[in-house]
Amino acid sequence: MASSRKSRSARAPPPPRTLVLDNGSDTIKAGFVTGEKTAGPRIIPNCLARDRHRKTYVGSELEKCKDFGEIAFRRPVEKGFIANWEAQKEIWDREFFDDKAPQRCDPSESRLVLAEQPNSLPALQTHCDQMVFEEFGFASYYRGTGPSFNAYHDIQAIFHTPRTSETIIDIPAEVILLIDSGYSHTTVTPILQGRPIHPAIRRLDVGGKLMTNYLTRVLSLRHFDMRNETYIVNEMKEAVCYVSLDFKGDLEKTWKGTRGERREEYLTGAGIAKDYVLPDSHKSFHGVVREYDPGASSRAACKGTVSTEDVLTLRNERFVVPELLFNPSDIGMRQPGLADLVMQSLSALPIGLWPGLLANIVVVGGNAKLENFIQRLQMELLERVPDECVVRVARPADPVISTWLGAANFAKHEHVEQLAVTKQEYEEHGAGWVARKFAAGLGVDS
Amino acid sequence: MNNFGVIEIAGTTTKSTPGWAYVPDTGPALAAGLQPANRKRAARNQPALSLSDLSARQETRIRKDLEALDRDNHKDTNIAIPPKSGRSRAQNKHTPNVRKILQSQKTFANHLDDYQAMLALAESNPGAAAAMNAAQAKPSTSTAATPKSASPAPTTSSAGGGSKRSAAAAKRAAAQEKLEQERKKATKAAPSRPPSPSPEPSPAPPAAADDDDDNDDNDDEDIPMPDATPLPPTATATTTTPPQTYPRESDILPAYPKPPPRAHPGDADPLLASCGVPPLPSDAELRALMTAAPLSYLEARAAWAGAGGDQARYPARVFCAVCGYWGRVKCLKCGGRVCALECLEAHREECAGRYGL
Ligand SMILES: [Zn+2]
Ligand SMILES: [Zn+2]
Repeated sequence: MASSRKSRSARAPPPPRTLVLDNGSDTIKAGFVTGEKTAGPRIIPNCLARDRHRKTYVGSELEKCKDFGEIAFRRPVEKGFIANWEAQKEIWDREFFDDKAPQRCDPSESRLVLAEQPNSLPALQTHCDQMVFEEFGFASYYRGTGPSFNAYHDIQAIFHTPRTSETIIDIPAEVILLIDSGYSHTTVTPILQGRPIHPAIRRLDVGGKLMTNYLTRVLSLRHFDMRNETYIVNEMKEAVCYVSLDFKGDLEKTWKGTRGERREEYLTGAGIAKDYVLPDSHKSFHGVVREYDPGASSRAACKGTVSTEDVLTLRNERFVVPELLFNPSDIGMRQPGLADLVMQSLSALPIGLWPGLLANIVVVGGNAKLENFIQRLQMELLERVPDECVVRVARPADPVISTWLGAANFAKHEHVEQLAVTKQEYEEHGAGWVARKFAAGLGVDS
Repeated sequence: MNNFGVIEIAGTTTKSTPGWAYVPDTGPALAAGLQPANRKRAARNQPALSLSDLSARQETRIRKDLEALDRDNHKDTNIAIPPKSGRSRAQNKHTPNVRKILQSQKTFANHLDDYQAMLALAESNPGAAAAMNAAQAKPSTSTAATPKSASPAPTTSSAGGGSKRSAAAAKRAAAQEKLEQERKKATKAAPSRPPSPSPEPSPAPPAAADDDDDNDDNDDEDIPMPDATPLPPTATATTTTPPQTYPRESDILPAYPKPPPRAHPGDADPLLASCGVPPLPSDAELRALMTAAPLSYLEARAAWAGAGGDQARYPARVFCAVCGYWGRVKCLKCGGRVCALECLEAHREECAGRYGL
C-alpha cells in the first residue's frame, strides 16, 4: 500500500493528448482532446467488409466501396463488447497507429479514454486492458461506461430548461436517466453526479441490428429475398422506419382487408405507405424513398412494360420494426418493452430518486434518430408513473456522437485524473488492480 | 384482378422464396444471450402468458428465429484480414497475453458460457475458481513480476461469499438484500467519511468482494486477482465536494425542488408542488447506490417475469404471419396465426411445405 501511494505521488504529468474512443459494434467514434481543444469525432465503420467482388475493406476504407449489394461484415465488437481483438487491432492499427493512419497517434505519448458498454464480462475487460497497455502501450488509460460520459454535457441545454445567466451549469449533471439505444442493445442507466448507479442498470436486447434483420425477414417474406442485403435494408430502415404513436390505428390503416377486399385506406396509402426504390447496382447504389404512388403497379401492368426499377411499397413494415423497442414480445422475445425497462430500473432505486430521474431522461445512440422515439417513450412512461410526476424525455442534437462528446468533455474534467491509470501502474499492480480501480469509479467523495 | 401495391407480389414470391425460416442453422449456438433459456424463470411459472402455451415446436421456431435475427450476416462468412500494402508499422513482438488474446477465436457467446461456468465452479469450488482467474490477469510485462501483497487469492469474494451464496436463491431478492447490506454498511461508514482515505476500501465493484450476493451470476466483478488491494478511489481525490451553489440538505444531491426537475415551459410546476414529494434518500443510501458493484451481464438483462417470477406482466400480441396485421385466425396445422382467409391461403402453402400435408 505504502509503495503504491508513493508511486502515485511521484506520478508523471498526464500525457498532452487524449485519444477518445467510443468503440461501438457498428461504428467507432474517434477523436482527440488536446488541452481544451476537442477535435472530432470521426465515425469509422467498425468492421471488415467484403463485397460481392470479393474485395475486402477495413474500417474507414468502406468509404471507397460503392456497391453494397451482398456485402458481408465481420465485426470485432459483439453485443457491444470487443470480442475479437485480431480484427479490432487491425482496424485500430489502420485508423490510429500506422504511419499513414488518418488519425495518427503515438500511444506512448497519449492517454486513451475508452467508452465501454455496461455489464461487460470480466475476461473481456481484462483482455482490453492488456491490449491497451501491453500491445499498444498507451501512457495512460481509462475505460468507463459509455452512458456515464453523457453526464459531462450541459444536460439542461438538451432539455431547453429555461434559466438565467447566473445558473450554474453542473458538470457532471446531478441526475440523468440515460438511455443508450445502439446497434446491439438498449440500456437504461441512472446516473447521479456522473456516477452510474450499477444496481439499476438494465438492458433490453433490442438494437439496430435486430431491427434491420427483422425488416430483412419481413421484406423477404412479403417482397423479395433480401437476406444478403443487410446494408441496403439498413439504409431503408433508416430512411423509412418510424415509431408509431398509435400502433393499433396505423396497423388498421395499413391492412388490405379480407379476401378480395381492398380497403380505402390501403388503396390511398393513408399517408403511411411509401415506395422505396432499391438500388440497381449499376447506376444507383443507394435506395430512394418516394411518395406512395397507388397507380404505379397497375399502370405498369397495363402497358405490359417491365419496369427496370425494383420498387417496394412499405406499409406496416415502416412501424412494426421500431415497435420491437417497445414490444419485443411481438417476435416472441421474452423481454419487456423500453418503458417497462425504465420502470424496472427505477424499481431498483429509492422512490425519492424517481422524480429527478423521470424529469431528466436523455436518449442517445443511433436508434434515437427514429422519428417519434422520444414522444412514444414519454407517452408510455406517463401511463406508468403517478400523475403528478413530470416526465421529460429529450435527445441531444446528434445522439450518435453524444457519448463521444461527453467522453471528450470528461477527458478535460478533473475526474479523468482521478480515474485514469498509467502504464507504470499497470505494470506495478497488474490487470486485476486496474479492473478494480475502474470498476470502483469515482466513489462519492471526490 | 387488381394488382395494387405489393400484395400480389408477395403472393407469388412466397411461393418461390422459402423465407427466413429456412436459414440454415450453422452459426455458433447462441448462448443465453438473447433469449432467456431459463424456462423456470420465464415460462414455467406463467400460466397466464400466451407465449407459454406454445407447443414445443413453436418454441423451437421462435428460438431459431431470434437466433437468426441476432446474426451479423445471413450466411456464414469468414473474412480474413487482408495483407496491408507496404505495411509501415513494424511488427512488434507480442507479449504472451497479447498473443493469446489475438489468437483467440472465441465469440462473445463463448466468453459468456465460460463466465457462467466459472460462476458455477466458484459456487462448488471457490478455490479452484480463484486460481483459474488469477492465472488470467497478470500483466505479461517483466516488470510486473510479483504481485505486491499477494497471498494467492487474497480478497476473493468467491472464497468469502461461498457459504452465503448457497443460501439464497432468488436473484432479485439477492440484489435487494445486497442493497440492504450496503446500506447498513454505508450507514456505519458514513460518519467517518470525510478526508481520510476511507477505511472502507473501494466500496465498489471489487466489492463483489465484500458482500457478494448469493446468486449464481453475480460474482463476476470479482474476478479475484492476486495483487495489491486497490487504492481506494478517494485516495487521489483532490477536492472534497463540488461547489455548493445552494443550500443542500444532502451533501450528495441537492434537494428538490432545486435544480434537477425544472419544468418544461408549459408543465405545471415540478412534480412536487403540492402532492407528496417522496423524500430524497439519505446520504448513506445514496452513497451505497453510487458505489455499488455492477451486475453481471445476464443479471442486467430486462426481466420478463415479475419480481416473484410468477406473474405474467407483459401480455403478448399475435400477428398475421403473412401480412403483419393482427393474427386473428389460427392455422390448425402449425398453430401459426393469420389475419383472414386470403393470408391463410398464402400461409397454407408455406405451412404444407414445412410440415407436409
Ligand atoms: Zn394477413
Ligand atoms: Zn400453418
